[in-house]
Amino acid sequence: MNTKVATTSTRRTLFRISRKSGESNLHGYLFISPWLIGFLLLTLWPIAQSFYLSFTDYSLLASPVWTGMDNYKRMFFDDADFVQSLKVTFTFVLVSVPLKLFFSLMVAQLLSKSMKGMSLYRTMVYFPSLIGGSIAVSILWRNMFGVDGYINKVLAVFGIEGRGWISDPDSALWTLILLNVWQFGSTMVIFLAGLKQIPQELYESASVDGAARWRKFYHITLPMLSPVMFFNLVLGVIGSFQMFTAALIVTRGGPMHATYTYALFLFEKAFKHFQMGYASALAWVLLLMVALITVLNFYVSRFWVFYETDGGGRK
Amino acid sequence: MKRIRFKGLGILSIALMVVLSACGGNNNNNKASESSAPASSSTPKASESASPSADAKPVELSIMWWGPDARHEATLKALDIYSQQHPGAKFKPEYLAWDAFWQKLPTLAASKSMTDVLQMDAAYIQEYVSKGLLEDLSDIDLTGLVDPAVVENLKIDGKLYGIPLSQNAQGVAFNKAELEAAGVDLPQKDWTWDQYFEWGKSAKAKLPEGKYAVNDTSNLWDWYQWYQTGNGGKPLMTDGGKTFNFDKDLFVKYHSALADLRAAKAVPPADQQTAFLENDPAGDPMASGVVMTRGATTGSVGALEQLMPGKVDVVNIPVGSAGGGWAQSTIFLSVSTHSKYKDQAKAFVEWFITDPQAGEALGLTRGIPINPEIYKALEPTLEQKDKLGKKVYDISVDKALPFYPIAAGYTEWVDTYKATMEGVMFGKTSIEDAYDKLNKLGQDIAAKTK
Repeated sequence: MNTKVATTSTRRTLFRISRKSGESNLHGYLFISPWLIGFLLLTLWPIAQSFYLSFTDYSLLASPVWTGMDNYKRMFFDDADFVQSLKVTFTFVLVSVPLKLFFSLMVAQLLSKSMKGMSLYRTMVYFPSLIGGSIAVSILWRNMFGVDGYINKVLAVFGIEGRGWISDPDSALWTLILLNVWQFGSTMVIFLAGLKQIPQELYESASVDGAARWRKFYHITLPMLSPVMFFNLVLGVIGSFQMFTAALIVTRGGPMHATYTYALFLFEKAFKHFQMGYASALAWVLLLMVALITVLNFYVSRFWVFYETDGGGRK
Repeated sequence: MKRIRFKGLGILSIALMVVLSACGGNNNNNKASESSAPASSSTPKASESASPSADAKPVELSIMWWGPDARHEATLKALDIYSQQHPGAKFKPEYLAWDAFWQKLPTLAASKSMTDVLQMDAAYIQEYVSKGLLEDLSDIDLTGLVDPAVVENLKIDGKLYGIPLSQNAQGVAFNKAELEAAGVDLPQKDWTWDQYFEWGKSAKAKLPEGKYAVNDTSNLWDWYQWYQTGNGGKPLMTDGGKTFNFDKDLFVKYHSALADLRAAKAVPPADQQTAFLENDPAGDPMASGVVMTRGATTGSVGALEQLMPGKVDVVNIPVGSAGGGWAQSTIFLSVSTHSKYKDQAKAFVEWFITDPQAGEALGLTRGIPINPEIYKALEPTLEQKDKLGKKVYDISVDKALPFYPIAAGYTEWVDTYKATMEGVMFGKTSIEDAYDKLNKLGQDIAAKTK
């Protein structure tokens, strides 16, 4: 929160100066020009272009042909794969995000205790997250959950007959959800920092009042942590909507499109089926969808996120 | 209230930036070359001055090909030989697996930065020619190098856009050693589809638990096309994709036969079948020892033989009244229309199938060399893996049908075929529903093709 206040006031100051003299304004732009040029040419221009392309039929190899709303019509009225990829993606987001939040909060709780060697434990727990989203881990996952994978070998020891976890449409998405939850490291670190910020006095006074452990958790930890939780939720939802690497490497969207996530669908349309126009339209719909859900998230947050600076006032 | 809303806007815009920037950097590193594609391609890496005498100015030719490791190594060696023979000629080689190659090429094509020389496949060459991306190579003199009938056959609208490198063919590899040990009659040349399905069942009965004679090929579109064309049906896509021919009777017959095999547990269960990964030592249906047969081409059977030395033998694709499988040249070297060194590229391409030293270095890594002279020189030194490739060709050639490529715009249909038929394999979709869905999509694409 502090940094935000700082940036706002800095911006105000700059603004005031710029009114006084146009020159310092120019200097300012000169200083940020390396970034600005990159942003305009490499980010804003392609974005604008993709907006144009979303109204065209563009095969990458030939010039785009204007088709009006056709791409959007096809998406909503005539594409079973679009519906399937939405179903997969929403299931993925709705299940994996809460699970990941819960899991990383629990781990953060454990790691916030002070005991000997804790920094070593923290490192060990966080370490896998450094490689979490990589291709290598995706390949590892494929080998673990394959028909001859380690999971089935362990199950066999207990006399349980395994199955092709990633090649069965009923379980394939769950292996990807598990992979996402397992990559809890950065979420956990943010929770951990949040936990450290909670003033000890609150717990002490609660103890004096005889509050049990779960009561302290429910009435102190959770409310005090809610802004951090909210931050993790927003980022988690956005990240999960773009789930791509694992879906491509572990399951290639299969079997039966059971793991055909929206981002993978978009990628295949663009670079495999040469329908760059349609893919651009898909990208814009994804952007709008994520924006809407984020706005919704912000709206709902008023009812459960507790900012100490507001004096806890929930309006 | 107001402050909170501002805060919200700030975070929202950050959130959007995260989305946008993440969209920008995609990686894809698709390993596992798809089974259907034969691997054959040659890539030269030397840049040469067309006539060494005229301009000895150093030239660097970029070149790109797909294939397995053995082909990469052989090709790099050939490029070195070219550089030695043509001082000043250098190469910028790039070699990938089949999937990655075809993912990368469209983006290069769109930015007009395709390599000077590139390997091309019969499945896709029409699409690239129709977009004006490949140079007309008709003026390269192939007399004495390539059978004129083959050249004629490869011309598109009277022009040659790819120099054929090899003879290639599609067959079925089988695990001879294990089938004999189990007392199973081996597949015979020109077996019919009915015999193939029947054999799948009877051979399974003699095999140990957990082993199967044939694969559940439900989700492989090319297998179905072989069935349809072999039994007298038309190829799926004709007139350059303007007509889509999807024979309902044959489709239902073929997939009912496979459904019978599934019901009799004569093919691996769907979750095991869809997990196979060809040419992966542990994941290959045959190399892992689970299935006794699988599809293989002249250019690719060598890789299988190396995974299970001494065990592999081959037979042709099951035949119908019209024949079965294909046997022809499917791998070419082409030159980009955007190349700055077209003459040098053409000279190199010609050298690639002419030079005896290059022929020796390349061996059979792209199938049987198209140049009879080169093949004759190699013949005495062939290894078992090479002989198998030759056998696939010899055993297939008399019954072979033409190679029917994916028409431009149909990649989507091919992918949908796979996903839809997996629904049938897992018992979630009926064969009739699958037919209706795939037929509608195919007809839609045909209607859109101009």
